[in-house]
Amino acid sequence: MDQDLVSYAISEALQSGCEYAEARYQKTSDVTCLLRNGVAEPATMSDAEGIGVRVVYDGALAFGATNRLTRQEVKEIVERIVRRAKAASSSLKERVAFSQEQAHVEKWSSEESKKVEDVSVDSIIALLKDIDRGLQSPIAGVSFPNRMLFLGWSIDEKYYENSDGSKLQGRVPRAAYFCILTSVYDGRPRTVSVPAGYSQLGGSGGWEVIEKLNLSETIPAGAKEITAGIKATERPPTDEVMDVILGPNVASLTSHESCGHPGEADRILGREGAQAGESFLKSDKLGMQIGSPEAFVSDDPTIPHSMGFYKYDDEGVKARKRKLIDGGRFTEFLHNRATAKVFNINSNGSSRAVQFDREPIIRMANTFIEAGDWTFEEMLSDVRRGVYIKSFMEWNIDDKRLNQRYVGLEAYLIENGDLKEPLKDPVLEITTPKYWGSIDARAKDVEFLCGTCGKGDPMQGAPVFFGAPHVRLKGVRLGSR
Amino acid sequence: MILSMQRVLSTEEITNYALDYSKKLGCDDVSILGYQIDESQVRFSNNSITLVNNVREITVQVYLTKERRRILGSTFNPTEQGINKFIDNIFTSCRSLPQSEHYVALPKVDTRHDGRANFDERVKDADLVGFVKQAIDSSLGSGAKRVSGSLNTSSLEAFIQTSGGATGKYFSSEMLLNVRAFAEDNASGHGLCCTSYVSDFDPENAGRIAGDYAKRSKDPRTVSEGKYDVIFTPTVIANILPVASSASAFAIESGLSFLPPETEREIAVKELNVDDYGVYEGGLGGRLFDDEGLPTQHTPIVIQGIFKNMLHNSTTAKKFKSRSTGNAGIISPFPSTVVFGEGDSSLDEMIRETKNGILITNNWYTRYQNMRSGEYSTVPRDAAFRIENGEIREPVSGIRISDSIPRQLSNISLISRERQWIKWWEVSTPTLAPAMLIKDVQITKAVGS
Repeated sequence: MDQDLVSYAISEALQSGCEYAEARYQKTSDVTCLLRNGVAEPATMSDAEGIGVRVVYDGALAFGATNRLTRQEVKEIVERIVRRAKAASSSLKERVAFSQEQAHVEKWSSEESKKVEDVSVDSIIALLKDIDRGLQSPIAGVSFPNRMLFLGWSIDEKYYENSDGSKLQGRVPRAAYFCILTSVYDGRPRTVSVPAGYSQLGGSGGWEVIEKLNLSETIPAGAKEITAGIKATERPPTDEVMDVILGPNVASLTSHESCGHPGEADRILGREGAQAGESFLKSDKLGMQIGSPEAFVSDDPTIPHSMGFYKYDDEGVKARKRKLIDGGRFTEFLHNRATAKVFNINSNGSSRAVQFDREPIIRMANTFIEAGDWTFEEMLSDVRRGVYIKSFMEWNIDDKRLNQRYVGLEAYLIENGDLKEPLKDPVLEITTPKYWGSIDARAKDVEFLCGTCGKGDPMQGAPVFFGAPHVRLKGVRLGSR
Repeated sequence: MILSMQRVLSTEEITNYALDYSKKLGCDDVSILGYQIDESQVRFSNNSITLVNNVREITVQVYLTKERRRILGSTFNPTEQGINKFIDNIFTSCRSLPQSEHYVALPKVDTRHDGRANFDERVKDADLVGFVKQAIDSSLGSGAKRVSGSLNTSSLEAFIQTSGGATGKYFSSEMLLNVRAFAEDNASGHGLCCTSYVSDFDPENAGRIAGDYAKRSKDPRTVSEGKYDVIFTPTVIANILPVASSASAFAIESGLSFLPPETEREIAVKELNVDDYGVYEGGLGGRLFDDEGLPTQHTPIVIQGIFKNMLHNSTTAKKFKSRSTGNAGIISPFPSTVVFGEGDSSLDEMIRETKNGILITNNWYTRYQNMRSGEYSTVPRDAAFRIENGEIREPVSGIRISDSIPRQLSNISLISRERQWIKWWEVSTPTLAPAMLIKDVQITKAVGS
């Protein structure tokens, strides 16, 4: 890593009169293999490498980046962004300032046993072929004629300095699996994925995160599970209020969409207004009761082998667990140093940039509904009449994070504590307060899935975990597609 | 690492160098695409600039084959040493891959590309801060209390060298302004201005539209679930009718498209026409050549409601016994510039013709339950209004479109003559789109509060 150029960028910015400067050399390497209907498509490999510089000049925030790694180019980029910051500063109505944070000097990385860069593309394709073999023949009467299986790895290496004295060198390798399948049953084609909801499996660390998943057995087994939903013809009851149990596949995404996102302080302050949107939460709503006493949601970047793992964020702030909803109250927002300054607190280390040429912005890391003390069977036995939505495919939520929808893939009617016939496309379309307010039980069985969270302009797809146990919603109404 | 002692090559030099180096290694097919891009941005929220941004990059895309083995890579290291290391690495990986049943040699091309897509050299030095001030002031003057948005400009030089003989370059530029105005927390409006030319750039108009919509959206109501006749603005049409991207032969073959695997099938009302252009003269962006070096072209996708052509690269063309349409993507072909044909209606006529309907001006978060059937939902955002007996009534919010693309294509009732260039967060391909009135659109909403 070119540490001299990073230091040089900061010194140039400070000499130009900036009150704050940071620079980040970042190299992101990735390899993705795609097996389509049993045939390997071209493997893709990329190296994105360069320096991003961010400065504050007279309250104006400016960012620049280049991949021409010479002193002359770095000098020019700094000059250009300082010039633009000066031009903007005269018309600012709000000036940017950063919270005071402790400086850190450390070299850090995620734990890894088997380095991903030592895994050859032919062995990745061989594993994909093993998985594909389990999907080639019909499963429980359902065929999968279109199969797109993706498997790959990435390495994110950074060297970061700021004008407060932080010097941080980090490395996070990751590996992930993903698929999109077309199932056909009774002549009807349908898009599905395993895991459902277009989710990924994987994490940070070495290739052992993939080996532990035993994909050649678990993916065909997962495909078998969803055949009940694919074959279902019975519509869900839509005219009655009932109890609904959500599987971890569904509930995990709710923690991300309707707790993590609305709790991002940049959205709350309006900075993402024209793109990712704002939030139904306002800055004076910290501590408000948003849900039932059973609602507990956290975000924790420090979970080993998690997809969203990091030890320091891209503003040099040490990562820690954040309790977002605690007993139904919104107790903490996600902050960077600029929003923390507005709230007159310290940053909780939520600022990340996915590549050298992107500004760091507030991101979730690993958001999850905390485990409860129920078992799934105990939850089920309590339900006289309801629906179990085990997994989903379609989902979305409005840009204030108030009105969300999840459409089931595998789902069952519940009667007198027993699972009955599979249901076709039950729709949970519900407001955020109603959702968190309806939770009356959480199981012990937290599961994590991987995803790519979209936010920012230009768009930044950030690797994250989302997790949850089974949760039960009391007294809600479903729709149908 | 002492990179400052390595000579950074120009994009043209590095493209030529990468081709020569790959050939020396013994590759059978080589396609090298070099991009030099200068991007600037001003972001704003709460009536104030929040970030100025400038990114200058050279990227190189490398496609190699050896004995029917195929690999694709991209690197941001524009030095001889960086290119050597990167190509050595991917060539080593390439040789370990299985031979591909889908292998097709790169096309022979004798064209020397040299020209401009939609390009204005003045874009690079445009006064972005001044333009943003105009957009904010205009929006505030139209009734907004808070204004957010971004102005993004880009100037691109693209170079290509292939072992099939393709060589050359083109220039392209874009100016994309996205304005979101708030009159109150639940009352917002959206305005866009997307062009390649400084002379066509009108930030005041985008700000005015956003501000006016915001002002008219105060105190929104809700509507009952059910079927409505819905008028969609060009911004929404460009997102919810992804006809061109779904015409990618790769998407169709992979089960990722609602379109049938055969052309000459009726998929929409006869008034619908959709085309792809490599470069649409006077339009937005575009590309002169595709990733295999072939010249891009005009390809009609839908003519009078009939699905006429898929979009192909050389690989998909061979499978479908067709010819490339100059839309490569090495793995998957993709549209360059989407153009919906103009209709003979207007927004005013659509409103007059609607007895019980809704006007939706913007949307986001489109997701599919089933890509093959085209069943999807999306969330309207910003201004939406109930329409009754030919007149706009109260603003509405908290609704969702839950429908299917084939059903909507068959229910298009009116198409506007006026069209607008769209490219923003929810629409990544430059699209010239009209407004449309679509009958019997399913509207749902959240249950409970």
